[in-house]
Amino acid sequence: MGTAKKIHNIEIISYYTGYIILIVASLMILPILTSLIFREWEPLLDFIIGGMISVITGLLLIMAGFRTKMDSSDFQWKHGFVIAALSWIVLTFLCAIPYRLSGHTKSLLDACFDVMSGFTTTGLALTQDLDHLSKGLNMWRHLLTFIGGQGMIVLALTFLTKGIGGAYKMYVGEGKDIELVPNIKDTARQIWKISMVYLLVGTLALWITGICIGLNPVSAFLHGLFIFEAAWSTGGFAPNSQNIMYYHSVVYETVSMVIFILGSFNFGLHYAIWQGKRSEIVKNIETQSFFITSFLACILALAGLSRMKVYPDAIAGFRRIIFNVLSAHTTTGFGTIYARQFALDWGDFGVLIMIIVMLIGGSACSTAGGFKGLRVGVVFKGLLMDIKKLLSSERSMKVYKYHYMKDRVLEDGMIKSSAIIICCYIITFTLGTLIGTFYGYSLTDSAFEAASVSGNVGLSIGVTTTSMPSVMKIYYIIAMYLGRLEFLSVFALFGYLFGGVKKTCVKLFRH
Amino acid sequence: MRKIIQALIGLILITVISPIHVKAVDVVSINDLIENSKELDGQVITIQGEAIGESMNRGEYSWININDGTNAIGVWVKSDTADQIQYYGNYHEVGDTIEVTGTFYRACAAHGGEADFHADTFNIIKNGHLVSEHIDRHKIVLAIISSVFAFLLILVYQRQRKLSEISQENF
Repeated sequence: MGTAKKIHNIEIISYYTGYIILIVASLMILPILTSLIFREWEPLLDFIIGGMISVITGLLLIMAGFRTKMDSSDFQWKHGFVIAALSWIVLTFLCAIPYRLSGHTKSLLDACFDVMSGFTTTGLALTQDLDHLSKGLNMWRHLLTFIGGQGMIVLALTFLTKGIGGAYKMYVGEGKDIELVPNIKDTARQIWKISMVYLLVGTLALWITGICIGLNPVSAFLHGLFIFEAAWSTGGFAPNSQNIMYYHSVVYETVSMVIFILGSFNFGLHYAIWQGKRSEIVKNIETQSFFITSFLACILALAGLSRMKVYPDAIAGFRRIIFNVLSAHTTTGFGTIYARQFALDWGDFGVLIMIIVMLIGGSACSTAGGFKGLRVGVVFKGLLMDIKKLLSSERSMKVYKYHYMKDRVLEDGMIKSSAIIICCYIITFTLGTLIGTFYGYSLTDSAFEAASVSGNVGLSIGVTTTSMPSVMKIYYIIAMYLGRLEFLSVFALFGYLFGGVKKTCVKLFRH
Repeated sequence: MRKIIQALIGLILITVISPIHVKAVDVVSINDLIENSKELDGQVITIQGEAIGESMNRGEYSWININDGTNAIGVWVKSDTADQIQYYGNYHEVGDTIEVTGTFYRACAAHGGEADFHADTFNIIKNGHLVSEHIDRHKIVLAIISSVFAFLLILVYQRQRKLSEISQENF
């Protein structure tokens, strides 16, 4: 009986993981078309090979778990979490194939690093010679970060022809929990609808701006599309090595900034505004938290850096500081200064501000990373609630509330779960800092980079290079993965694997 | 005596003029510019690198970006000078290698605090060229084999689906 159930577990996981792989792999058609249009034959072959290997893997997994197609009634929470975590790992390897074949990465580890960085919307890159990258590979890099922002499971659910019992469990497993409409399949479709409308508007705005700043129309379109994908998904990739500095334009920076701020907001908030509930922007605990923390961070950074006379005038200071602080806070990772300038010019105070905002991050159920404004707001309100309770009479029974799409009662369970996730992020950040200092990087540099990977930001102070020790690369991959899936799915996957290994060992001993 | 005077004049000319021609220009790498930005801020410096992407015309002046392999930087240059560049580095092309002498600004007041380079003199020291794509035969073979295998697997999967649908209908 136990064996039959175990096989069934594996079948469910195999079937849905294969399904997700197949959907994501089918997107390789876009870089294939790009390579065809721009006559890039070598990348074309890379994507055909990568695409076919992914299709084969996906189909084999689906066929292995084919019985699930007939009956998915046994779908449990653990399946949802394990599928979410496992499909991300398998897809990281599969999507790294075109990177590796392109010759722009020095090892498979570097290729996997970049794919995980894209999927998790981090934006750190180990890909070499970005300025000579094919348009096909650039399309793939930015597409990965765009898909990663909405979620690969969200994408797979969008293509479901009929509802399945485990859809919501997989959706939650990917770090999202908001239901825009009662049906989870329709929620996934709404998320994509919101993203696609912004994609059209944002790309058009960047395209026109690109032409106005001197890019040729075709190039302006591709830059616009790539920068939109990276900004909306708070990813931070760019088609050239100078990132946003390539454009030398305040207008281009401003349009990108508006897009990444919008991208860092909860999909629920976008949906509410589309439904005409504009007051949600003001009442929502996440937007309140974001505006307060970003305002304070900008003011402090402006004050600190003007005291050190980093920039020649107020306009220069505003342009550089506001953009980079907001890029860090929304966990985007676009930079308008060189990586090393954070360490050399901004000083410890500026770097500390950046570390704090990178860890706080954007909104829950958005494309952003970090603790999330919701959790920061809930823990802060919980602290205020406890202080008020201490000061008030024991007889008073006041109910404390917060607004998140609707008025909700602030319960101890919610505060506790938020605090646990924040603690997990802090542990990941601390371990990253520890490993960095172990390998001889300064405390400031190690902490900055660890905050960047833990919060899925992508800004670098110069630590992330191909010469970085492999242990650090592996840890950064794990930190990005944990941060994006918000720990629980990954813990479930390891728990499941550990449980399976333990059972096998026990059986072997008994025999 | 006349010959000695001629020889002396010749010697003087060689010692005075030749260093101007022979002395190598001190080229600073872009990474060194950034690492030592406070010391080099506002100084006249020479950099070399490949023109990448495309030029962005802003009227009398244009932006070009150059990459020397250590890093890339924006160069603010007169538009008619920028027009001399024929090739910009991208997937299909190796860009012209240019040598620029000008002023480096750590946080340029004229350009919103950007670290940039204002060109005074500008030379193309090596012409760029088109890159001929070398297609690896192994990749072609691998692409064909994987495509055939994927196609066969799709057929097997379709058959598995049909069989299961029939068995479900019978059930």
